[in-house]
Amino acid sequence: MTQATTSLEATAAGPTTSRWWRIGGLVLGWVGFVLIWGLTSRFILDEFVLPGPAKVGAAMWDIVVQGEFIDDFAASISKTFIGFALGALMAVPIGYSMGRRRYWKAFFHDGVVGAGSIPGITYAVLALVIFGTGYLGPVLAVAMISLPYIALSVAEGVEGVDINLINMSQAFKRAPSDIIRQVMVPSIMPFVFAGVRLAFAIAWKVEALTEVFGSSNGVGFQIRYAFQAFSITNVIAWTLLFILFMLLIERGLAKIEAHVFRWRIWEATA
Amino acid sequence: MTAATVSGTQDTSANRKPKSKLRRTLTSDTSARVTFYVAVIVGWQLVAWQVERMPAPWETLQFIYTELTGGTHGGVVTGEFWEHFLATLQRFSIGLAVGFVLGVILGLAIGSIRFVRSLLNDVLLVFLALPAVIWAFLTVMWFGLGWQAPVYTVILASIPFVAVNVAQGVRSVSPELHLMSDAFQVPRSRRLRNLMLPAITGYLFTGLRFAVIIGWNAVLLAEWFGASNGVGWRSRFWYDAARYRGFLGWVIVFIVFIFVLDGFVLRPLQRHAFRWRERGDDESDLSLDDVVTTGI
Repeated sequence: MTQATTSLEATAAGPTTSRWWRIGGLVLGWVGFVLIWGLTSRFILDEFVLPGPAKVGAAMWDIVVQGEFIDDFAASISKTFIGFALGALMAVPIGYSMGRRRYWKAFFHDGVVGAGSIPGITYAVLALVIFGTGYLGPVLAVAMISLPYIALSVAEGVEGVDINLINMSQAFKRAPSDIIRQVMVPSIMPFVFAGVRLAFAIAWKVEALTEVFGSSNGVGFQIRYAFQAFSITNVIAWTLLFILFMLLIERGLAKIEAHVFRWRIWEATA
Repeated sequence: MTAATVSGTQDTSANRKPKSKLRRTLTSDTSARVTFYVAVIVGWQLVAWQVERMPAPWETLQFIYTELTGGTHGGVVTGEFWEHFLATLQRFSIGLAVGFVLGVILGLAIGSIRFVRSLLNDVLLVFLALPAVIWAFLTVMWFGLGWQAPVYTVILASIPFVAVNVAQGVRSVSPELHLMSDAFQVPRSRRLRNLMLPAITGYLFTGLRFAVIIGWNAVLLAEWFGASNGVGWRSRFWYDAARYRGFLGWVIVFIVFIFVLDGFVLRPLQRHAFRWRERGDDESDLSLDDVVTTGI
């Protein structure tokens, strides 16, 4: 995976010699960012137009202290995960057949490739039209958007399975379950993990977007509410809280991935 | 799963009996793709039968026709298309041009200056994660209804994605080549032309593709929440009027637009720019790299 970049991982300096440089830069970067933000809001724009970091920070603190955010976060996260699981469940057979059969690959090709370029607003509003403002809308929007990414990564993985290994296993009369467990799964898993990570980064955004368009709870609903109350402070506060939380989950996923595949040494050097 | 399906991995025709011509035609790639589209339309029709609010394909097509030709939708409402489409296209292209240029400049700085890179590493991560709808909300609150909110939303949403890809392009030039250029005292201008540019071009196109897809979603969102014309506004107009065939018709329009732009212009450009890259023989045309665009 070299080409499509949605993170800076590849550009982050690796060797330990630059570790302090990195941490220093990180701290400096955030301090500088907050400083620029604060100065812009104080002197260039207006506190009303762009609330300063202190004001937004206070609003975030309020949201956390009041404790109501737990309900909204729980709602958003549960919708994300249920939708994600549903999407993955449908994606695995599709991806598997795409990796194995030329016909199914051609069949799903346009749908899977095109899904990445459909504007997210489509998923959000279509889910709303079909399922209304209940719980189901966001869940199915998430399922629809994560399906193609996971299916594609499964297909890539299945295609990459070494046929010679399977043939050899059969020659030595291994049971099919053994072949699946010890040949297929290990070579497919890295692709699946990569797909899951990418799909998740998109899934939670679509979930929030669907809630913005129509929902009665969740973080997206709160952001919409703040927008309609014309509270720039609260829009920024809710957004930052949600983004920081989701980035933490994404980082956790990456950590799990690194742990599971620590035996793949060549990945680290590639 | 049985052993038979596991061994079926190789689809070579060596030990298979020859297929009839009809069968070959039916299982060809083209017919598979056609079948897919037919299945999508059939599925849509099935949903339309089940869900009252979902318009049928035929109704939607009729609506698009009326909207395009300026016919009447019943009552006093008449079809309007080009006014909205061109307004959106204009905002989209202005935002895209500005956002792309700014993104490239930022990306060059991040890629080539180590200090800037370590400064912006984490901050950019947050901006990458920021959904476009937040920019739409903020710009609408800042500028009110009008052309500014959509244009600024496109600019703000696309910059980080362009920057990250350009930065990666700069970083993809191996340090050894830089060292060698130093040793042989290659002038700066030649180094830029022969070393940097070829390396960056592919990443530039990738960045452009990201910007287009993200920008298109962004412009629609901003128009949905804060404009008085344009594609996003028009689809919201029908949505609010509970005329879902109108809403769906516009959804089809903006999906077809981005499909055509991506499939026939951007993806081929990206492939062309990366053609020097070695691709294995068995590498199929399915790669996550080419598809992931995160147009949210």
